Parts: sequence; structure tokens; C-alpha cells
Amino acid sequence: MSQSLRPYLTAVRYSLQAALNLTNFSSQVVERHNRPEVEVPNTSAELLLQPMNVSRNEHEQVLIEPSVNSVRVSIKVKQADEIEQILVHKFTRFLEQRAESFYVLRRVPIEGFSISFLITNKHTETMNTEKLVDFIIDFMEEVDKEISEMKLFLNARARFVAEAYLGEFVY
Amino acid sequence: MLHLKPENLLVQKTLTEAWNANESGTPLTLDRVISDFDYTTLHLSNSPENKAVLWLSIKTKAWQSVLKCGEGFLEHLESKYSAFPGIAPVGPEQGYDYTLTVDLGQLQPDAIVQLSLLKIHVMSFAFQLAFHEFSKLSQQTQDPASFSGSNDTGIVRQLQYRDDENIFVKPSNDRITVIFETFFQDETDKVFGKVFLQEFVDARKRNRSIQSAPQVLFSHEPPLEAASLMSARKADKNRRFITFVLFPRHFQTPELQFSTVCHLVLFRNYFHYHIKCSKAFMHSRMRYRVDSFIKVLNRAKLDETDDGEQTRRTITGRKLVY
Amino acid sequence: MEDWRRIDIDAFDPDSGRLNAEDLTPPNLKVVSASEIEPRISQLRSAATSGDFASALQLVTNDPPYGADETTKTRYFEAVLSVLTQVRQAEIANLVKQLSLKQVDVLIKYLYKGMSVPEGQKQGGILLSWFEKVTQNSGVAPVVRYLSDRRTV
Repeated sequence: MSQSLRPYLTAVRYSLQAALNLTNFSSQVVERHNRPEVEVPNTSAELLLQPMNVSRNEHEQVLIEPSVNSVRVSIKVKQADEIEQILVHKFTRFLEQRAESFYVLRRVPIEGFSISFLITNKHTETMNTEKLVDFIIDFMEEVDKEISEMKLFLNARARFVAEAYLGEFVY
Repeated sequence: MLHLKPENLLVQKTLTEAWNANESGTPLTLDRVISDFDYTTLHLSNSPENKAVLWLSIKTKAWQSVLKCGEGFLEHLESKYSAFPGIAPVGPEQGYDYTLTVDLGQLQPDAIVQLSLLKIHVMSFAFQLAFHEFSKLSQQTQDPASFSGSNDTGIVRQLQYRDDENIFVKPSNDRITVIFETFFQDETDKVFGKVFLQEFVDARKRNRSIQSAPQVLFSHEPPLEAASLMSARKADKNRRFITFVLFPRHFQTPELQFSTVCHLVLFRNYFHYHIKCSKAFMHSRMRYRVDSFIKVLNRAKLDETDDGEQTRRTITGRKLVY
Repeated sequence: MEDWRRIDIDAFDPDSGRLNAEDLTPPNLKVVSASEIEPRISQLRSAATSGDFASALQLVTNDPPYGADETTKTRYFEAVLSVLTQVRQAEIANLVKQLSLKQVDVLIKYLYKGMSVPEGQKQGGILLSWFEKVTQNSGVAPVVRYLSDRRTV
């Protein structure tokens, strides 16, 4: 792991551990409703806690917005050039379309970020919180790796294809 | 499958089937429309009178522009098939550009291959003219009496092979320049295309074994050779120009000419085909990656059997549900 | 006019019991005005330029201007950020060890704030190593206290 990635991931890990302390909480406004307060507009301020920003640089950030019964984690994945932008966009879209098998994935990322997760008290009750944190950390590591591998693959393939085509002209 | 074959496999297969059936005495009833790249359709059908005689018709986007390239286009096509008995041009079928009759009784295996190359033969006319003009121009240069001192250049021939895309062929006294004008509709294709085109440009510089391949250039602005024909149309920022510079060694003999033309005509198809392939590969890769993420996430789930004593089982081992 | 069904009527009802962020900040915070903050900023800067980061850090973490308005906080924060980013990586661990629990809580507020603004994000690496040292020393506790503390820097 690179030298600056490790503190980044540790910071995210600690922040998540602190934030994933959720309880069942019924809506204060609507009877018999139980909704993730972080997603509700105009919610009462005491239900929301201080948001946490963890950033490695301008292009790689995590925003954690905790509330009494839910946490929203948004990740901005590094996008150095046009190709990476497209690859990140495709990849996150692909994941979001399969959000139901991911339980904690939000179908739409919040503005300015590549992908968002919404963890509610339901999830922390049925899942091991430590492992959930592991999943997010693992996800962040793998996405970066995946994007750069796909980019390398694309370049390698383009090179091979071009050489094969031009090779046909060598007599 | 790295390379695209110039022959149309479906035409080959259909003709072989028809020929076999005819040999065994029961000619097939055929009415097949076959598609090829770049809005080309081929139509294979029985002639109205005789089942043993087939009609092969072609309709292609490039036809109109090929006709404009110069004199002798139909003769050029005829000459490709005159060596084979049983193949003769007839008046074009309704809705098609060109029709050949094929007498199955006299058909040879070689002719089947040539028939499946019909589209390439149509496109090759513009290149053929350029090759002729090149030899004329280069002789002029060698002959000091008639050489005017300037680099004489021939006329630019335009092949409009898709709605918005053209090939320009320009001979001069020491080379032939082939320019592809291309255009990406899809944003992703555009970015992927950029990567691929850049590699085409760099490949020759990097790999010594293909030093003798044609030089490839890539630009957003129309190259000077094609600029005169381009000025009428408005510039589009999605347009890309790929220039191949062919040197005499690429078209010294008729065989070389043929293979060069085959590859050039299929350039766009080859290139787009590989863009699609990369996309497909990435898709399967993402699918795999999603599975591995789900696996990690499932590790977080609390095991159902963890609450041991609370689950009661029946004597047969089923879970008791309250 | 916007759709009347979407009007949030609770916002107009003084008895709705809904709280704003302002309602939650503790009352009687000491008000710090812009003119009061300037001498502290210059004090910070001079400590930083003379290389005395230990006392600069004490200044930063002892009495943060919780009661100041946003622009004043931003001015002060710029000075704090420049101090934090001037410290050499190797010294960070030592400096963090000298802080009391309360001071660490203040420090972590500055770290999170730093990472939420573009100026701090450019220096993300240094802020993250501060963060790492803090958590190595006192674990997750300061982060939890940050979450629930309504006094912002």
C-alpha cells in the first residue's frame, strides 16, 4: 500500500467507527414512520451530527454525514483524465444498478461525489459493524485498483490492436 | 479473432450450399438478404426463369461516390469476374446498385471467394485509379524532359462510405495518401477511440518490426489534402482525421495492392470492432468485481445460526417457526 | 408560486419543536470579534516563523474562538492551517503527545475542518498524518467527541 493511502484509510476507518453508532429512531414528525434522518429534508437539527470530511487531496475525498439512525458515506474516486472519468462513471453506474444486492449502496450519489452508501440502524442490527467498515475500506482500495487496471488494459489492448493492424502492411 | 476477414462469410456459405444442392440435382430456392459493414446489403435470389441461375445484387452507400471517381468503373468490376465462367453482369435489380448472374452449373470454388469479395471490389476502384495515376506521376518525375520541377500531385478522390464519414485518396509522385474522416457518436467511444488512435500513431515509432508499415497521422483539423473538399461542410469538433501514407512498397504488385486495399477498407470496422470488444471485456470484468464486493459485504452479515439455543428444531431437523 | 403541498408548514410553527443548528450551540459562548482575533493571528504566525511549533499548537488548542462569526473563524483558521502544514512529519507525533485530552478534541476539529475546504485538501497528506498520530495516541474517542460537539471552529 502506498505511503499516503494508509493514513487516508485509517482516518476513514476511525471516522466510520465513530459514526456507526446507530439506534432505532422513529420519526418525530410523522407517526409510524421510521426513516433515515440524514436523508430527510428539514429535519430537526439535534438528529444530525457534525459531518466529517476526510480528504487525501482534492480528487480523493470521503464525506461522512452521521445522524441518529443513519450514516451517509460518499466517496469521490480519483479521476485523473478523461478515460478515468468514463471508467469511474461506468463502474459506479454498474454498481448502482445492482444496489439491491448491496443493501447499503445508495442508488444515486450525492452531488460532487462518485458513489454514496447509506447505512441505517437496520443494517447495523443485522450486520457486524466492524465488517461493514471493512467492506467500505476494501471497496475504496479495490475501486482505485480496478480503475487503474482497466485503464492499463485499455492502453495495452489499443497498442496490441494497432500493432497487429499495421503488421499486416509489412511485406 | 483479431482480424476481420475481407470476404463476406455468409455469401460464401450460401453460395456453397446452393452449389452443393445444385450438384446433387435439387437446386435450392433462395431469397436471402445479407448485410455487410457500412450499410451494405447483398441480395441472393434465384433468377425468375431458372433455379440453377442465381442473382447476386449489391447495394452500398459508397456506390454513388465511386461512380464519380472516374471512368471505367463498370469495366473494372467486370474484369474482376471475366476470368470465371458462368458469371456475368446484368441490369441492376430493383433497389440495388449492381447485379451479377451466377450460373451454378459452371461455378468454380475460386469464383465463390471472388463473389464474396464483391463489396471490396466496389470500393477498390478508387484505389485502383490512384495506383494508376501514381505510376504515371512517378514516371513523369523520372523523365527529366517532362518534369516540371514541382511535386506534381494527382486529384483527390472521395469515397463517401457512410452518412457522415469519408475516405479520401490522393496520389502524388512518391506516395499515396489515404485519409479517413471519422466521427464518434458515443461519448465513450470517442474517448476510447482517442486512446486507440493514439496507439496507431505511436505503434510504428515504438515497434521496430513494423517500421515499414504506412505512416499514420491523426488530427482534429482536416489535413491539407482533404481541406479543399471539406470547406463546404461546417467543422464539427467530434470529427477526427486519420491519415495513412502509403509508399510504393505497399502497392508494388497486384497482390500487394489487393491486400492493402482490403485492410484499408476494413480499417474503420476493425477499429470500432475492437472498441466494442474492450467495452465488452470491461463489462464482464465489472460483473466479476461486483460479485467479489458482494462476497465481502456478505461477510459482514450476522450468522443466522449464531443465536443457537433460541432456534428449536423438530425431530427431523427442520427449523421450528413460531 | 411553488407547489403549496410542498411548503414545509412546520418551519412556520413556533411550537413545532424543531431545532436549528443555532439552537444547539451552547449559550454564553465568549464572543470574539474580528479586532480581537488579529493579535492572536500575528502571535501564531510569529511562533510558527520562529519554529516554536509546540507553543503555537498550545495557542491553537487552548482557547479556540467558538463565539466568533464565520468570517473571523475563517481568518483564524487560515493561520491555524498554515501552522499545521509547516510542521515537519517527524515532529508531529511528539507534538501530539504534549496535548491534553481537551486540546486533542480541539485539534481534531481543525483537522476535519481543514479537510473540508479546498485549501486544506491540497495539504491532505499532512492533515492525515496529524490525524493518524492523534488516533494512535487516543483512539477513536476524540472523533466521537467531535461528532457530538456543537461548538465549531
